[in-house]
Amino acid sequence: MRLSLGEKSFQWTNNVVLTLFALSALYPFVYMTALALNEGLDAVKGGIYLFPREFTWVNVSTVVTNPLVQNAFGISAARTMLGTASGVIITGICAFGLSFRQLPGRRWLTLYFLVPMLFSGGLIPYFITLRDLGLVNTFWVYVIPHVLNVWNLLVMRSFFENIPDAIIEAAEIDGANTLRIFWSIVIPTSMPMLAAITLFTAVFHWNYWFDGAFFVNSLELKPLQTFLQTMLANAEAAQNLRQGANVQEINDAASKAVTPMALRMAVVVLGTVPILVVYPFLQRYFVQGVLIGGVKE
Amino acid sequence: MKSIKTAVIRGIWKYRWQYLMILPGFIVIFLFSYLPMAGVQIAFRDYNIFKGIWESPWVGLEHFTFVSDPDFWTVFENTIWITVLKFGFGFPAPIVLAILLNELRNPLFKRFVQSLTYMPHFVSWIIVAYIVEVLLSHSTGLVNHLLSLAGFEKIYFMGEMSWFRPIVVITSIWKEAGWGSIIYLAAIAGIDPQLYDAAKVDGAGKWRQMWNVTLPGMMPTISIMLILSIPNLLNAGFDQIYPLQNPVNLPISEVIDTYVVRTGINLGYFGPAAAIGLAMAVVQFALVIATNQLSKKFGGSRLF
Repeated sequence: MRLSLGEKSFQWTNNVVLTLFALSALYPFVYMTALALNEGLDAVKGGIYLFPREFTWVNVSTVVTNPLVQNAFGISAARTMLGTASGVIITGICAFGLSFRQLPGRRWLTLYFLVPMLFSGGLIPYFITLRDLGLVNTFWVYVIPHVLNVWNLLVMRSFFENIPDAIIEAAEIDGANTLRIFWSIVIPTSMPMLAAITLFTAVFHWNYWFDGAFFVNSLELKPLQTFLQTMLANAEAAQNLRQGANVQEINDAASKAVTPMALRMAVVVLGTVPILVVYPFLQRYFVQGVLIGGVKE
Repeated sequence: MKSIKTAVIRGIWKYRWQYLMILPGFIVIFLFSYLPMAGVQIAFRDYNIFKGIWESPWVGLEHFTFVSDPDFWTVFENTIWITVLKFGFGFPAPIVLAILLNELRNPLFKRFVQSLTYMPHFVSWIIVAYIVEVLLSHSTGLVNHLLSLAGFEKIYFMGEMSWFRPIVVITSIWKEAGWGSIIYLAAIAGIDPQLYDAAKVDGAGKWRQMWNVTLPGMMPTISIMLILSIPNLLNAGFDQIYPLQNPVNLPISEVIDTYVVRTGINLGYFGPAAAIGLAMAVVQFALVIATNQLSKKFGGSRLF
């Protein structure tokens, strides 16, 4: 196919523009990793933009061996696992129950779940409710309020509704009860959708920092993202990260001048790596997820 | 009469498993959505922690004096500025990106660009705030390095109010344009290839094809997305704004959501903060209803 001069130059410009945009999406992560792997005092001089100049593991090892960071990482991991499992299961069984067209009162039940999408009480009454329920300053505030997600409920329900009735009726004739149908027919046929929703829920839990910042006071209950948020507002807090590293390392670190900035970068990398590592393998499911939600109508 | 009753009960009994499956979700929504809705009455009460929501004395509209508070209107104006700017630049960005991606000839290169541009969607706004901090740092940041190489003065990006809005708009495009393009790429994929052939026969070049075939083919999706973005008029994005705030930019960066958190949760003025929250919820509700009407009128499909 022959291209005109104008089209050729368009193709060129387009390639260049999109390459730049794609690299701009990647670059900040490369940059921060380089800073996390560079000696702190040396980094202050500037000029590190792509690779570490004075390579060292000391920032990363200080951070990784720090009990505060380990604890925050553990809280994040725990809330992600528990929150995702409970969120997908409870929303999933609820959606399945609602997907029966002949269910008496179905219209009212659906309306009951829809109203909170239209009107919310706002943050302050929500906070007071959490406090009255005894959830404030406990780990469970990260999990329980999120076990039902109305948006996921709607996506799952319409997906379940589209499973042909004939399959389910055949199973009923064979004597399978509702639970058995859900387990051995509905779940296997909905796998791609369930995978997508599981992933989105997991990413949400890993990244969410708001509840840790405003509904929880104890430092030992803060998830990693909230921990990062605290250090964002107060750079000197990163100095505390040196505590807990063993004496040898502190001397070592002192001689190599570990700076708060370098330590913060190391925690940032720690908070981003789990997502960046799994992302390439799971990207396909995420994209599917958007399209499942999008073609709902 | 009796037989109808037993039929109803039998109908309900038949679906007992279904009701049992719905129950946990039902309770959670009751606790975390309906109880707070009942709790909006603290906007009209003098909330006392020992008396609780239901026993605190009524104070009428006392907490609604914020409507005559110039500080509130500054915050309101800040919010509208940010939402309008984010919409103006952020809405077209994924559309343009999808069209450009669609013009790529090499499928491998296309997938490479897609994979990288989707990625920022999955990192938290906290991480984005760190990226902003290090990239724009006055002493060691890349941006200032490039500026000084090009012979310009270095800029204190986070120390000047005027840079706050551009930073918010650019980071939101950086984070969400790639991900937002997925839905538009799906729309482009649904366009009948014969339309392009017909356009070519009529002598249309690349630009005309984009303008007269691709863009009209995306129109239904674009209008749905446009309508869906209306309820966000008052939602500047707490997660994005709050981590970027500092004492210097606060006069321009304080938005309704952050203001409610600061007065309500940090300072403990529950009543006034709840009153602002309630007023915003009412406006939000009106916007959603309007959106639904618009959607019915244009797309024919109601959203709920």
